[in-house]
Amino acid sequence: MPDGLDRDLFRRIQDRVAIVGIGQLPFAKDIGRPISDTAVEAIQLALEDAGLEAEDVDGMSMFEMESTHEVSIARRLGVRQLTWWDKIAYGGGASCATLMHAAAAIAAGLATTVVCHRARNRGSPASRPWAQERALVRDDKALHAPWGLVRPVDVIGMWAHRHMHEFGTKREHFGNVAIAARRHANRNPRAMMYGRPLDMATYLAARPIGWPLHLYDCCLETDGALACVVTSVERARDLRQKPVLVHAVAQASGPNPVHLANYNATPAMETTAAFCAKLLWARSQLQPADMDCAQIYDAFTPLVVMGLEDYGFCQRGEGGPFTEGGRIELGGALPVLTSGGGLSEAYVHGFNLLLEGVRQIRGTSTAQVPGCRATLVTGASGVATSAVVLRGA
Amino acid sequence: MAARPPLHPDYPLPDVDDPVMRPFWEGARAGKLVQQRDRATGAVVWPPKPMYWKGGGRLEWFEASGRGRVYTWVVAHEPFLPAFRHLLPLVLVVVELAEGPRLVGYMVRCAPEAMAFGMPVRVAFERLTERVTLPVWEPDR
Repeated sequence: MPDGLDRDLFRRIQDRVAIVGIGQLPFAKDIGRPISDTAVEAIQLALEDAGLEAEDVDGMSMFEMESTHEVSIARRLGVRQLTWWDKIAYGGGASCATLMHAAAAIAAGLATTVVCHRARNRGSPASRPWAQERALVRDDKALHAPWGLVRPVDVIGMWAHRHMHEFGTKREHFGNVAIAARRHANRNPRAMMYGRPLDMATYLAARPIGWPLHLYDCCLETDGALACVVTSVERARDLRQKPVLVHAVAQASGPNPVHLANYNATPAMETTAAFCAKLLWARSQLQPADMDCAQIYDAFTPLVVMGLEDYGFCQRGEGGPFTEGGRIELGGALPVLTSGGGLSEAYVHGFNLLLEGVRQIRGTSTAQVPGCRATLVTGASGVATSAVVLRGA
Repeated sequence: MAARPPLHPDYPLPDVDDPVMRPFWEGARAGKLVQQRDRATGAVVWPPKPMYWKGGGRLEWFEASGRGRVYTWVVAHEPFLPAFRHLLPLVLVVVELAEGPRLVGYMVRCAPEAMAFGMPVRVAFERLTERVTLPVWEPDR
């Protein structure tokens, strides 16, 4: 990949596009209205935060796996005309990709001001995709669903168990991730788990879900809607907020991918995130050691342990010990999931991690890393994924 | 084999008419675990590719040994898919075939506590419907 980098369009995008507004609805177990409606309100809040109007918007990049339409959201917002839009799917993988597509569109002159969003209603047990499996399954799903391997906890549990076997990773390591996220959430009044502390004894005593994973290894299920506004750095200078620059961003599927149940990669533990990380750091002038904190996708605690390895904060197999001694908590060398993440703030397919990255650069997080200049935000390991390095101007 | 309850209406049955996967499901129905390989190099291709793929003319299906080793597993507890509830706690497994690829399946005739990394397993077959037979795994002792 480094061979192609001199021709890489990204060199023309680096630090040229900024996030200028963020908005979100309060997280809820039952938000009480459809995502086609909550999306509009989240985008309105992001525009208000930026000091922009719907008439300024001409592009839309949405993280979407349901069936809402750009045109209907744009109409309800009061957008004059969309000149560019797209939808990116892959649960857990697409939050940072919305930024990449938006940045490319702005750099190419296809749009000037793009809104990116994710709205998702998953608080109700009946709404969970694995509870809705019906005959007949096709394509990639036919490789795992007929045996009942459908719940993401089991899909990721396969990796987690193998990681424990190969590298000696312990439940306590996964517990360190859950506890760090919970401690950060307890500073964040927006978090679903605000006011509900978690200790290691409680973590270890939880019931098994997809053994070796237990209750507190799993993220929350939440209704939520979040959005951000992206425009050129030139326009950003005239706006209300301190611009947050998109320094490097990447999207990667990895070779021979199977959506979710991806057990035929070579080498075996090279997840999609490892490929995304290679591309991201090749595009970035900043490197892992320059990150003041990281928002690593956390549908399940092992994804953070593996993500620390994938994104080069430690070597393969060292992700477990990396979590020890408060290293991933506020005040440690690399605070992770400073809003509480999917484990303890809200699970909205990681779009809340992206907004927390923006707040860290603005200096407005409830678990603010003093003088935070750069942060990494990632999508999920194991599915077609994406990641971004955000920095201050 | 213990009698199964009637198939749950929401069982996620595979589309056995899928042109790429059809040989796999037809093989299972005939009690064979089949895999796809490159005719020239012998390299096993999994997941299988369509035969109209650029290199499709060089691909063929063959009967695999039906033996492999446990690469990893999880033990599924509630809440689980209704169609599988009678099997809980269910040992879901990734088997590394003797031929190389890793296949998803579940264990039969094997208690969760009997599982081990690298444990030899062999294929068994569970008939779900007239058209669908599922390759599953049991200890190869």
